[in-house]
Amino acid sequence: MIDGVTRRGAIIGAGAATFATPFAIGRARAAAPAGVNIGFFTETKPTMVAKGLGWFEQGAGAKLSWTEMGSGADINTAITAGSCDIGLATGSVATAAGIAQGLPFEVIGIVDNIGPGEDMTVRTAANIKTPADFKGKKVATPFGSTSHFRLLGFLKTNGLTQKDVTVLDMKAAAIQAAWARGEIDAAYVWPPARSKIVENGGTPYKTWDTLDKAGYVIADMIVVRTKFAEQYPDAVVGFLKAYDRALTMYRQKPEETAVIVGKEAGVTAAVAAADMKEYDFISLKDQASEAWLGGSPGKFAGVLKSTADFLVEQKSIKSAPAVAAFQKAINISFLQKAMA
Amino acid sequence: MKAWPSWVIGGLSGLVVLGVWVGVTSAGLIRDLFLPGPLDVWDGLRELMDEGYKGRSLLEHMGVSLMRVGAGFVSGAVVGTGLGLAMGHWRRVDAAAGPFIEFLRPLPQLAYLVLLIIWLGIGETSKITMLFLAALPVAAVAARDGVRNVPGERLLVARAMGASEWQVFRHVVLPSALPEVLVGARLAAGIVYGTLIAAEIISGANGIGWMILDAGRFLRSDYVFVGILMIGMAGVLIDRLLVLLERRVVHWAGR
Repeated sequence: MIDGVTRRGAIIGAGAATFATPFAIGRARAAAPAGVNIGFFTETKPTMVAKGLGWFEQGAGAKLSWTEMGSGADINTAITAGSCDIGLATGSVATAAGIAQGLPFEVIGIVDNIGPGEDMTVRTAANIKTPADFKGKKVATPFGSTSHFRLLGFLKTNGLTQKDVTVLDMKAAAIQAAWARGEIDAAYVWPPARSKIVENGGTPYKTWDTLDKAGYVIADMIVVRTKFAEQYPDAVVGFLKAYDRALTMYRQKPEETAVIVGKEAGVTAAVAAADMKEYDFISLKDQASEAWLGGSPGKFAGVLKSTADFLVEQKSIKSAPAVAAFQKAINISFLQKAMA
Repeated sequence: MKAWPSWVIGGLSGLVVLGVWVGVTSAGLIRDLFLPGPLDVWDGLRELMDEGYKGRSLLEHMGVSLMRVGAGFVSGAVVGTGLGLAMGHWRRVDAAAGPFIEFLRPLPQLAYLVLLIIWLGIGETSKITMLFLAALPVAAVAARDGVRNVPGERLLVARAMGASEWQVFRHVVLPSALPEVLVGARLAAGIVYGTLIAAEIISGANGIGWMILDAGRFLRSDYVFVGILMIGMAGVLIDRLLVLLERRVVHWAGR
């Protein structure tokens, strides 16, 4: 999310992307794949350390080809088309939509609980203090993203409709541009766009804690194409181990991590350090616990289910299956092996 | 063998494609996420007609888009043609404006999307300006080439008969260039139409292009198809109208 252009947000041709299959998956089960296609976002997260220092590559035991994706929906499309094997830090909203649509992937881990990382920013001059003050205001967010989901949840829980508030679909970069011209009163977006509009006459407007409690939890997931996971379980475990290593490094040496992350993402170490503090990176142990992916029925299957139900309500997807389908799409066996 | 009339071939190819579409989707060879069947698309259309898309009726989405296309095309084609005629007729205008036109023409509109927002905001102005900038160079180049292709002897004859420079332009250059100008207009209309989705990325949430984009995000292929069919049919209609206009105005072309 660091170049400020797109992350899980909107991008041109989201649906039409990537129907080419770069390489054919091997005929039989093999220990190591010839190559692995990773869909990712340039972000200020410890994942960038594992990417930059080649740990992911070592872990997977194969050559990785990295494709920067415009949104989680792009990752869904690419996985479905067979041209992406692992989706790194894709948003829970796209993941829920993908599972509801029966796309061929499973959730194997969580990078972070987004928590306060994505939240509302209001223009200080617009004098917005209470939810009712949003009436008649223009709020921008990248549609289809986790931020969009939270914003709609904010409106709904406060009895506001899209007739009261004008909700605009804009990419992170466009939000910054429109903000500079004073054309929008508020925006729901992630850093660095968020930090930039705060600097530019914005005030953070906290919504995330109440929304989290109301069930609008958002997180960044690691998803794997099901066939790939079946064929190359060791590569998947190795990939998770590499992330664990990066996470451990971040916990032990945050400054050193920030330097590498900043370099990978194209921002200063200070910005990288500040951005990373906004996210709650979850250890592998906690990921596999009942607080997150573990348990049966697990808590997170419920989160995904309610996310999908909300998307159905928004007519973004046609229908959502029962919670069992979401439970089935979560596979913590790789996490368990990575910790063993 | 007697050649079949083209409408028969057109109709047949339409039937074949429809047949394959029905066959492939009803046989369950392809998931509806990739290719919805004709019935899915029909249901999607009826849903959109009844309930609209994300708070706006389907006709409103279409109307807004056609308004943008119309405004961008007309402004771009008029200014572009004027400029192109001047460039074709006066070398100095060509030398002055040519480089800009050549630079602008191949430029992808997405490249200056953010600039347009910074300069012109997120309202209609920036969207229509983007479409204007897409139409302008195409119309200008066509008009310029139209003027350049006017046979020299026509100009010589007119001048020899004592026509003033303005009369030469008005009665010889303009009518001779008109067929190419109109071909340019058709091309420009196509490009403006193609730029529509890029323009509607600027900020949602209305317009048929935006609808396609938004529905595509979560693979709502039925809505995407409805949008594509609507946009496609309107496009053909616009093109036909321009052809009609072309036939009326320059019925002598090619003779």
